[in-house]
Order: sequence, then C-alpha cells, then structure tokens
Amino acid sequence: MLKRFISMLILSFILLCGCGPAQTIKPGDLVLAIGGESAEGYDPTMGWGRYGHPLFHSTLLKLDENLNTINDLAVSHTVSNGGLVWTVRIRDNVLFSNGDPLTADDVAYTYNTAAQSGGKADLAMLKEAAAVGPNRIRFTLKYPYIGFIGKLRTLGIVPANIHRTGRNYARNPVGSGPYKFVSWTEGQQLIVEANPYYYGMKPSIKRMIFLFMDEDTSFAAAKAGRVHVVALPPILGKQKIPGMTVHPVRSVDNRGIMFPCVPDTGKKTPEGYSIGNNVTSDIAIRKAINYTVDRRLLAATVLEGFGEPAWGIVDNLPWDEPSIRIKDNDPATARKILKDGGWVDTDGDGIVEKNGTRAEFTLLYYSNDSVRQNLSLACADMGKKIGIKINVAGKSSDEILRLNHSCAVLYGYGSHSPEEMYNLFHGKFAGIEQLNAGFYRNPTVDRYLDKAMSSSTVEESNRYWKLAQWDGKTGMSVRGDAAWAWLVNLTHVYFISDTLDVGASMIEPHGHGWPITANIEKWRFTK
Amino acid sequence: MISRQTASIRKSAAFLGEKTFRLAMVMCLVCAMSFVLVQNSPVDPVRAYIGADANQIGTEQRTLIAERWGLDRPPAERFIRWAGQIVRGNLGTSMIFNEPVASVIGKRFIVSLGLMAAAWVLSGILGFALGIISGVWHRRAVSKIIDLYCFVLASAPVFWIAIILLVFFSVMLQWTPVSGSTPPGIPAGEITLAQRLHHMLLPCASLSVISIAGVALHTKKKTVEIMQSDYILYARARGESAFGIVLRHVLRNSLLPAISLHFSSLNEIFGGSVLVEQVFGYPGLGKATVDAGIRGDVPLLLGITIFTTIFIFFGNAAADYLYTVIDPRMRHMEKINEY
Repeated sequence: MLKRFISMLILSFILLCGCGPAQTIKPGDLVLAIGGESAEGYDPTMGWGRYGHPLFHSTLLKLDENLNTINDLAVSHTVSNGGLVWTVRIRDNVLFSNGDPLTADDVAYTYNTAAQSGGKADLAMLKEAAAVGPNRIRFTLKYPYIGFIGKLRTLGIVPANIHRTGRNYARNPVGSGPYKFVSWTEGQQLIVEANPYYYGMKPSIKRMIFLFMDEDTSFAAAKAGRVHVVALPPILGKQKIPGMTVHPVRSVDNRGIMFPCVPDTGKKTPEGYSIGNNVTSDIAIRKAINYTVDRRLLAATVLEGFGEPAWGIVDNLPWDEPSIRIKDNDPATARKILKDGGWVDTDGDGIVEKNGTRAEFTLLYYSNDSVRQNLSLACADMGKKIGIKINVAGKSSDEILRLNHSCAVLYGYGSHSPEEMYNLFHGKFAGIEQLNAGFYRNPTVDRYLDKAMSSSTVEESNRYWKLAQWDGKTGMSVRGDAAWAWLVNLTHVYFISDTLDVGASMIEPHGHGWPITANIEKWRFTK
Repeated sequence: MISRQTASIRKSAAFLGEKTFRLAMVMCLVCAMSFVLVQNSPVDPVRAYIGADANQIGTEQRTLIAERWGLDRPPAERFIRWAGQIVRGNLGTSMIFNEPVASVIGKRFIVSLGLMAAAWVLSGILGFALGIISGVWHRRAVSKIIDLYCFVLASAPVFWIAIILLVFFSVMLQWTPVSGSTPPGIPAGEITLAQRLHHMLLPCASLSVISIAGVALHTKKKTVEIMQSDYILYARARGESAFGIVLRHVLRNSLLPAISLHFSSLNEIFGGSVLVEQVFGYPGLGKATVDAGIRGDVPLLLGITIFTTIFIFFGNAAADYLYTVIDPRMRHMEKINEY
C-alpha cells in the first residue's frame, strides 16, 4: 500500500518535470547566464550601469567597439571655462519606455540626484547640473575633471517625475534604453523586452532572460543546453559544450604586483598599520622582478592560454603608452640590475643581500581567488631564479587592507576610464586604503596626472596620461619607477550558442560577464 | 465548573505572561550582543558596499556613503538610535538591497518558509517512523540498516549531500532543475504551484536530512526502553499484536521526546537552509543572511537575527505547550504538586 503510494508520488513528480522548464522559454528568446545582477536594483543614480550597458537606460555618450567616445543621447558637447563648465545638447523627441518625453530637466535631475545620493555613482566633482533650454544641459564642476566624460558615458538618465516619487524606482526602472524592464525575480532572473520607443537601432532580439547563477551552475545549465550565452572562468575555457562555441574577449582586466615604494622607518598610518618595506622600496628589486617574470608563460599556464602579457594598468586603451613594453623573461638583465643596485649574494645561500638586508619579502593574494594564488606562486618561483625570495601568503581582503602598505599584494584592476590610473598612482592618495597603497610618489608623475585630469579635451588628457607612464626620463611604468609589476590581462571566456551572432566585442574592463552586453542591440540569431 | 475555567484561563495567562517576559529579555540580550559583535567585525560596510569598484570611487564619495548610513557617528549613539527605531517597529533599510529590511525579510522568508516547513514536517514524520520501526524490531536487520543510514546522515555535511543530489538528479538524470526557486523565462506572476514544488524538491530533500537522524535515533532509544517495560510485557501476555502495541502504547509514549527534539531542531533547519540555499541558488532568507554577513549589511543582519530569534522562540514555546496537550501528566503536574 505504502509502496504503491510512494511510487505514485514519484511518478507524478516525474510527470510534472516533463512539463517543466523546457517550454517556458519561447523561440526567439535569448537566455544569458553572465551574472551581473544588481542586488540593490536598477537605479542609475545609485550606481547601476557602471559596467557595460545600463540596458534600460541610455547615456549621454557611449563607447564604440574601438573605445572611441561617441554620442548617444547627446548630439554635441563642449567644455569651457578651463574645464569647469560642460555643456551638452541632447536629441529631440526621445521617449522613455512609458511614452513620456525625455527632456533636459530629466538629465539635470539625474545628475544632481546621483551626486547627492551617496551610492556607487561617484559624482563628487559635480557642483550642479542645470537645464538651460529644452535640450541643453550645463554641468558646473567643482574643479576641472576630465574623468567627468566617463560619467557622461555611464550614467543612465531616469525620468524625473517617476523617480522623484521614490516609489521603489530601483525595482521598476523606466528608461530610454534599447530594452525595457519586464520582471525581476531577485537572486534568480531578469526578463527584459525591446523598448518600442527606443530612438536608436531597433534590437533584433525582442526578449531576453538573464539568469543569475554561480559559475558551476551556469556551466551545468550550458551543458544541458538551456542558455545561449554563458560566462565561464578560464579554467573551463577548454571544455566542449555541445551547440556552443568559445568566444574569448580581450580585456584590461589585469593582474599585477603592487610594491610598497617607501622604506620601513617605523612610521604607521593613522589606523596603526605599518608603512614601508625595505626590500621592495629599492627600485632595483622592483625592476629585476619586472624583467625576470615570464608573462607569456603565466598566461599560457595559469590562465590556460586565456590571457596575454600586461605592461601597465591601461593596456591597449587610447591612453596607453606603447613604449612601456620591455623584453621580459630575461634573468640576465635582471641579475645585472640587481648587481648594479648593490644586491649581491655574499653568504652563498642563493638569496642576494644589500647592506645586510636579504632580498626577501611577502607577497599577499586574496585567499579565495585561485588564479591570483597561482600567479603569486609562479612569480615566487621566477624570483628565486635571480636570488629574490618571495614568501607567498593568502589573506582575506580585510587582512590585506591592514598589510598592504608594508607587503607586496597581487591586485587586479582595469577600467574604461583613466580615472583609475589617477587614483592608483597619484601621491595625494598615498595610504588611502587600496588606492595608492604602496605610497608611490613621483612629483613629475603627479604633475602629468594633474594636467591630464584638468585638461579640457580627451585628446589633450590622453597625451598626459601617456607621459605619466613614461616621458622618456621618468614615469610610473617599468621603464621609470616600476611601481608595480603588471603580469597579465585576462581574456574573458564566454560560450556563445552557434545560433547567435554577437558581433565584435570590445576590450572589457575588470569584471567578467555584464560587459559583453555593451553592443547587445546588435546581437541577432542566425538560425 | 466556573472556577475551573477561570483557573485554566489564569494558567494560560500566566504561561503567556511568563513567555512574553522571557522573550523581551532574550530580545534585549540578542540585540545588544549582535550589535557588539557586528561592531567588532572586521568587515567595513562602506568597503564591502563599494566592492570591486574600490579604485573608481574617490575619498569624497566614500565619506558621502558613510554619512548616508550614519557611520560617521559614535557606536553608542548608533545603537541607541537603532534600538529606538526597533522599538517603534522600524528595522531600517538594507544597505545591499537598498530597500526596507522588513520587506527584504518578508520577501525572502516567504520563499524559505515553504522550503523549511516542508523539510521540517518531512524529516519529523520520516524520522519518527524510522525510529519506531528500528526500536520495535531492535537487533533485527531492519534496525541495523536504519541505524547505519542514520549515522551516515548524521555525519554527512548537508551541503555535501545537496551537491550529490544536485549532480545525480539535476545534471545526470535531468529530472530536477539546476538552481533557483522558479523556472527561467516566466514572470513571477505566472508561475504555477507545480513548478514551485518541482524546484523545491531537491533543496527540501537535502534540508530534511539534517534532523531525520536525530529524531530517529532518539525515538529509537525511547522505543527500546518502552518495549522492555512491564506494561508492554503485560500487553504481550494479553496477546496483543505488535501493531496494536505500537499503536496503543509506543506511539504516545515516544512522541514526547521526538516533539521536543524536533521543535528544538528548528534552529538547525534555519542554519541548514543557509547552506542548502547557497548550493541550489534558492533566494531565501538563508542566502540573504550570507550576503548580509559577507557584505557588512548591518541593518539586514541584525533584522534577520531578531526575526530568527522570535521565530525559534515561538517554536520552543509551542513545544512547551504541546507537552501539556500530549501528556496528561504534565497538565496535572501542578495539581499533583499541590497535594
């Protein structure tokens, strides 16, 4: 009796499964498992859309596939008054997905709200945005800041009259982007549909479902044929998935070693953390490591081929100085640099010394990140070859924040905005958490960085960004002070369904997944 | 007659009054302790909130975020303000979800509730049944098999069992969904009950594993004791069948320890749901707890702590009350004491 009951139960569940997930996705729907859920909702004034595409919203400017800045909502923009006043003219007749018109007032409202909201959209440089006509907006900055152009590219415009009511906009976003919001099951999926009022190219894919799952589950879903686009870690890049092809995308998602650049004189930060390291503060040590590591080998082994050598924090972006590339995997040159710098192995233990100090330091990595762990271990091996002992240790991010002014750390960065380079290498950010953790300070570099930031045009600023890396005499890069040893840029691994054409993907920033949606309105099914 | 009724009402009122007082005390302690713990946690909420954007968010913006959350004020002032709001029933705003804590908990709890309730009832019934069978047929093969099964379950970590089930049923057989509590591609309003159950199947199975073994083993011990008692011997002498003995003597007597144990295992189900929801990507309260902890969302974490405390407190109070319903001796204890 009981047996029959149980088998009935099992049978009925199997029947239920039969009419399960397979039919819930209609033909023509695109299913993506690329992460990117914003737990706090989709409100640009709180920081939604900092990566890739704000999807529901459109921005004033945007990047094209070659990372040139082009107009989106804007038709023109001018910078005047020494970089303090930015004036933007926007398109006429743009409608939000609910049919309301988008005006200069909405733009001004969006920027002013974002500046005061205390979210992740950093508009600290903005004094005020004001509508000066139906389609002209004037932005007044507190100080000249070319990084503001990055904000024009990423901050999605919200409808003031809806957003102002505060009725949970983040969970029911309305915007003027290519897609409109349909539903969001938190922690699970986001459904969007093409926005009928979109002013740009009409997307060929009408309905998309973003599934939010971890990497293992995404991989299982891809293997089961349930998704069209999936983001996977490099370690799974060599896998075969039926009906899908691997789609590697280049990135500035870099990994490198940050060195404390000042000696340990017993000084401490206001929080009580030690500052300085007597080994890595010697430029010969930093340069020698830069010359001896084999970046190509790191990319081929640790990243399974899904990566390429990195030379700076902005590789292959318009503000990258190409001459900073050196010939690495060169222990002979590295040994010569050490010898010229006074580092010699006097006691025959295989490790060089200088004035009684052994060339030994600690390299930290985030203990939950196996790629960083393997990179650290490989670098320690490569350092040993030239007589530098690198002790590798995995720590939590909070522990690293206490140690990063006195120990080398394997960090990862990479952004579509040069602001990051400014925050990472400018002397005025020395010792502020992980901004300029190593207390790197070079007055010439600081001057270039300031000039770049206060430029009025992107072209002018790019010239100074490049000079800050290497001006022929000095710079932050390996040719100059070698403040960091950049190692690799990751290649982001996606698997794309053979029925889908995603066009040419742009070089992606740090953060794997959502950035691939940058050109999503051009995607189409081929079968 | 009337006096007996008022006496029973008075007794219930005393029961309620005592429980309420205890709850208030527990709440005060839990609030203070969790605030102190969170205060001393190494996780910096602003840094945790910024996360991967650390280098694109300047110092001015960090200050602005800290001000929005009131982190620029001293801890004692923060605690008093927070406690004042709690008393008024305002749990605050979650930092990571950017919506009121009460609504986050509400939404997440609905998802978890079905899962936990199903797992709890299932494990109670299964555990009790296995315990009785194993106790009545003590030293037989069936008892040994059940014991072995219980020991394996008791020593296997729940997330491990969850992964095994996931690999077998979802990936190899593809009978069950891989993750989530709803099927992909359907707006929330159009999901059927069958689909929800289908998604709940594996998480529920893994979660129920936690308390099956405990209930079964305790019930078994009690049952073995009962089976060796004089009244069972007498019943056998009267010629009662094994079935009759179980139904009339064993069930009632062994129910008490099972119930007290199972109600007190409510907190284990809560704890287990954290792990299981993580494995199955099931967006319930457990997953929200993990997120809140890792990302330093103090209001949400404290809100969940308070909520869980109340929930488990009522679970235990319900067990206390059920004793008196099931066991007449408990009901009359006071009367006996009076003599």
